Amino acid sequence: MDNPYLPIKTEVLDVIEESHTIKTFRLKPESSLRFKAGQFIEMSIPGIGEAPFTPSSSPYEKDKLEITIMKAGRITSLIHNLKKGDMVGLRGPYGKEYPLAEFEGKEILLVGGGVGLAPLRALFLALVHDIEKYKSVLFCCGSRTPSDIIYKDCVLDKWQGLDKKRIKFRITVDRKDEAWKGNVGLVTTTLDKLEINLKNSVSIVCGPPIMMKFATFKLLEIGYKPEQIYLSMEKNMSCGVGKCGHCRLGNFYACKDGPVFRYDKISHIHEIWD
Amino acid sequence: MGPYFINKSNLDRLAKCLSKTYKIFAPIKSDDKRFFKKLGEDGLKDSVIGEIRTVEPVKSFYFPARTKIAEYFSEECPDKKERPIAIIGAKACDLVSFKVMDYVYGQEPFRDPFYVSMRDSGLIISSDCTCYGETCFCAAIGIMPYPAEGFDINLSELDGGYVAEAGSVKGEKIIKEYFRLFQSAEPYIEKKDSNRKKLKEDLLEHVKKSKIPPRDSIQAAFKAKFDSPLWEEVSRTCVECGACNYVCPACHCFILMDQKKEESFERLRMWDSCLLMSFARVAGGANPRKLLAQRMRNRFDKKFNFFPDVIGRFGCTGCGRCIEACPGRIDIREVLSKLQ
Repeated sequence: MDNPYLPIKTEVLDVIEESHTIKTFRLKPESSLRFKAGQFIEMSIPGIGEAPFTPSSSPYEKDKLEITIMKAGRITSLIHNLKKGDMVGLRGPYGKEYPLAEFEGKEILLVGGGVGLAPLRALFLALVHDIEKYKSVLFCCGSRTPSDIIYKDCVLDKWQGLDKKRIKFRITVDRKDEAWKGNVGLVTTTLDKLEINLKNSVSIVCGPPIMMKFATFKLLEIGYKPEQIYLSMEKNMSCGVGKCGHCRLGNFYACKDGPVFRYDKISHIHEIWD
Repeated sequence: MGPYFINKSNLDRLAKCLSKTYKIFAPIKSDDKRFFKKLGEDGLKDSVIGEIRTVEPVKSFYFPARTKIAEYFSEECPDKKERPIAIIGAKACDLVSFKVMDYVYGQEPFRDPFYVSMRDSGLIISSDCTCYGETCFCAAIGIMPYPAEGFDINLSELDGGYVAEAGSVKGEKIIKEYFRLFQSAEPYIEKKDSNRKKLKEDLLEHVKKSKIPPRDSIQAAFKAKFDSPLWEEVSRTCVECGACNYVCPACHCFILMDQKKEESFERLRMWDSCLLMSFARVAGGANPRKLLAQRMRNRFDKKFNFFPDVIGRFGCTGCGRCIEACPGRIDIREVLSKLQ
């Protein structure tokens, strides 16, 4: 019997502390679980419960995956207590991925805030994997403070030297500390003076609801059309398979029709930013 | 094939024969209400095949309030085979609710194996309503009080027996196998049709009083009332008990619950209610429907806007169970009447 509710036993290989509220868990499921960037999985603490997360590692990595989780509720607090060697459950992947084929030949703008960088990291790594297919990638990252920046070693260091012609970064913090020499301001400020041919561009936004709302409005203001904006909608995806009813968004279920939505498909729906 | 006539004692014989293969449930009457009861040695002696729907929704047999759906990290897979379920005396509103449930649970690419296998192996012997209840309003939303489809066999009660009509290959096979229990329906057809016509007219007269908008205008009327004080008004007496969801034959939402079980862990699927505050809340506290009025509106949105778009029919069967169950006396007919 094919049981979509049955989790795969998964070992925690490593726990990486990203910030004081965010950790990345390196996981090895007992049987293969291949996802595409943007799809999500359900991660469970055995006997306690589960919650949905979008993997943050490269979809091309075999046998292992990483999930970046902010401590926000009951399950995520328990997940934060996990140690190397602990067992968790995984199900998935579920939902619609980022449509990479539609991004080919385009100037790609990634806009991420806080833990919303997680799905974008998976997407970024997928783009980098075939970077010659894309015209350019501009990755705009916003965090509250310098210590809230996740994937510091990648964002501030390793990724900077990848392909300087094609791949660029704009990194900002809402509030600086003494050591911070970079930009200060909300992530929307990184969208000013874009050196992008908007006609041949797509933008992908992921972050807290309020950040997605203002980033989307800003993108529209600077000339992006709704059909050029992709959003990852965070809803209460419980079953993950379009049955339990929790993540309904108008005529869609975030779990099966999303979580990646093109903005023009959902812009008419009430309650999308709440 | 058919239709045929089967008298009461022969239907009882048929039920007893079928009980070798199926776990059979049929309605009995208690305190002027009808409840499904497992068929015992007495067969259909106390059963009420006609009249109206039971108190509990028929979904509870295929999508029980609490189902163990996974036991994980253990080697054993307890896939215990139970006898399939046969329902005798399901009503038209029950059958229509399967359209919603079958869509949700049978939808690819992840079919719900528990629901689907019970539906596939189950048997539905439905029956015409022979009267209507005060809260019945199926006819107002285009459902007649006698089944049109979705049954294996349908029974129309009259003259000490039933006109039996097969609605599926499974139903035809049963009639063929027990052919000696059936006789010609010829003398009864006219009466069956006139009974149906009379009940339909009576029911249409009854639902007129509710002033529900014409069926084809309900969705547009709902959309027009999306931003209106109506939802606050309607939810004023709601105590968020979830009873309307639980008794609704078309409410399919559930919550997954995990628990420890000796050496392994089990996952339960339990009915959930969209009127509860936590229904759409995410970790961190964001909640697209913080207000009760939003959740009330969402219930109507799902039934009268979402399902018409998605499967071309309402997520409401007009059974009226929610009206009887609501301690706040919220009457779905009244809400619908206020849409126009």
